[in-house]
Amino acid sequence: MTPTKVHQLGIIALIVFTVAAPWVLPLFVDSFWVDIYSEMLIWSLLAASVNLLFGYVGLLSFGQALFFGMGMYGVAIGIAKMGLGFWPAFGFGTFLATAMAAVAGVFAVRLTWHYFAIITVVFSLIFYFTALSWKPLTGGDDGLPFSMPPIFTFGEDVKLSLTNTTIQYYFIALTVGLCYTLLAIVLRSPLGRAFRTVKENDMRASLIGLNVYLVRLTAFICAGFIAGVAGSLFAFFGRYASASYMFYHVSGEAVVWAIIGGVGTLLGPVVGTSLLIILREELSHVWEHYLLLVGSIVIIVVIFAPRGLGGLWHGLVNRLASRNDGTLDSSEETKL
Amino acid sequence: MTDIPVLEITNVEKHFGGLVALDSVNAAVESGKLTAIIGPNGAGKTTLFNVITGILPASAGQLKFQGQDITRKSAHEISRLGLARTLQIKSVFNGMTVRENLWIAAQSRDGVFKPFQRASKSKRANETADRICEELGLSALANQEASNLSYGDIALLEIGLALATEPKLLLLDEPICGMGPAETEQTVAKIQELAKRIDIVIIEHDIEVVFDISEDIIVMNLGQILARGTPKEIASNVAVRAAYLGDDDA
Repeated sequence: MTPTKVHQLGIIALIVFTVAAPWVLPLFVDSFWVDIYSEMLIWSLLAASVNLLFGYVGLLSFGQALFFGMGMYGVAIGIAKMGLGFWPAFGFGTFLATAMAAVAGVFAVRLTWHYFAIITVVFSLIFYFTALSWKPLTGGDDGLPFSMPPIFTFGEDVKLSLTNTTIQYYFIALTVGLCYTLLAIVLRSPLGRAFRTVKENDMRASLIGLNVYLVRLTAFICAGFIAGVAGSLFAFFGRYASASYMFYHVSGEAVVWAIIGGVGTLLGPVVGTSLLIILREELSHVWEHYLLLVGSIVIIVVIFAPRGLGGLWHGLVNRLASRNDGTLDSSEETKL
Repeated sequence: MTDIPVLEITNVEKHFGGLVALDSVNAAVESGKLTAIIGPNGAGKTTLFNVITGILPASAGQLKFQGQDITRKSAHEISRLGLARTLQIKSVFNGMTVRENLWIAAQSRDGVFKPFQRASKSKRANETADRICEELGLSALANQEASNLSYGDIALLEIGLALATEPKLLLLDEPICGMGPAETEQTVAKIQELAKRIDIVIIEHDIEVVFDISEDIIVMNLGQILARGTPKEIASNVAVRAAYLGDDDA
């Protein structure tokens, strides 16, 4: 079996599990795990947004929560203050996050490494405090709750809404799935290869004619879009928006999820996010210092498996494959 | 060939604070000749390449490539006009395969902002990458990550990166530095073959190679052009012998 086949099987397994989760999960664990799983899927998008920048373009952002928060506020303000319906609010949240990324990106991607990391933190802090103090619009400390508009109505009787937990679950799973599909398409395109090229060696990339600044800015806007979709979904999920999700703490958590899951692998963030959220759910009420364990895991991963669990998985599959047919496949098509 | 020099350097200066790295350099590179730049360490050879290719901005002066002003253009714009270079410290895309390295260089001509097209379906870039792999004898290593290559192969791949951008002028910065005798011979033969269809300017420390392959030699010292001429003229130039070749019999 070729590495590509193994990876495809892995993806199929993940899809089957996700589709079956609302029935399968309650057979083994408490049914609130279905909710937690949809939460994992949403948060994994935020980690995917960090991963796109760090794993594929080489920019470490500690400010992705800003775009997550923009998505949340876009939805909440759209519904509660502007009276928008479901889809316009979803579009508004995503648009707001993407536009914010375009504006912040113009300044941020001029810098790299620690300067880039710092400017992303600064941006998210500015808007965190703005959201906190602009009470009439954002609700400040209390956040901004809203009541869920229907996704779709037909006459008086037919009404589709996220208030139905099954619909909510599948809506989230489908949207997250679409985002990963989009990401996979972009990463396999010439643009995706340009991302990796810039990450590998930006000076060399400019010498072969790539506009490094524009490539980085494009990646930054894409990452903002993904974080924005995640934030919008999370607003629908919790029926409110709050500045606390914009804090750089949240950005930092996404970085940890991405690193543990494996930067530079498409689905690593899902693995990392799920694992750490399970840890949180299971350990936080038993042991209040459980973050010590999370910290230790991060240190171990960074030292011994710098490409995270995703990287370990790829190494394992490739090694098994090369034992079978003696060839090593290091082409990008297999790096899912 | 046209009358316009392929590269025209007029009064180019480069200062790093108080240090003058390039001191009003004037030179025109003619098409159809293999030009070499020699000079002791610190003479400003690589700085000149950096200024020409937009890695460093010139402090003063003007640069023209095929009659077009490139003084204030950025590195990627200059590359797109058809001016390619290799770096003294060999640099390729380590985490990518040999083929992917060449592919992205070729694709840069057609543009990379195509998010919904499949990279592997880019026919022209695929063909160019394969052709250059073959041309440089790297086909057997095409699917290897560049980080697994030997030093000599990395140097070849770097030349390949430049070639994949289909340049009209190629600047080579010490292409054979650090190579063994067999690799050197092979690479020199390759450079001579390329010189038949691409204009080449080469920085090289190996004087024997320089005198062997170039038709036009520029000697630099302390940021200035000290002498210029055919290998014969340079070998008998007194100033050059004093500054660079040494006073004793050359």
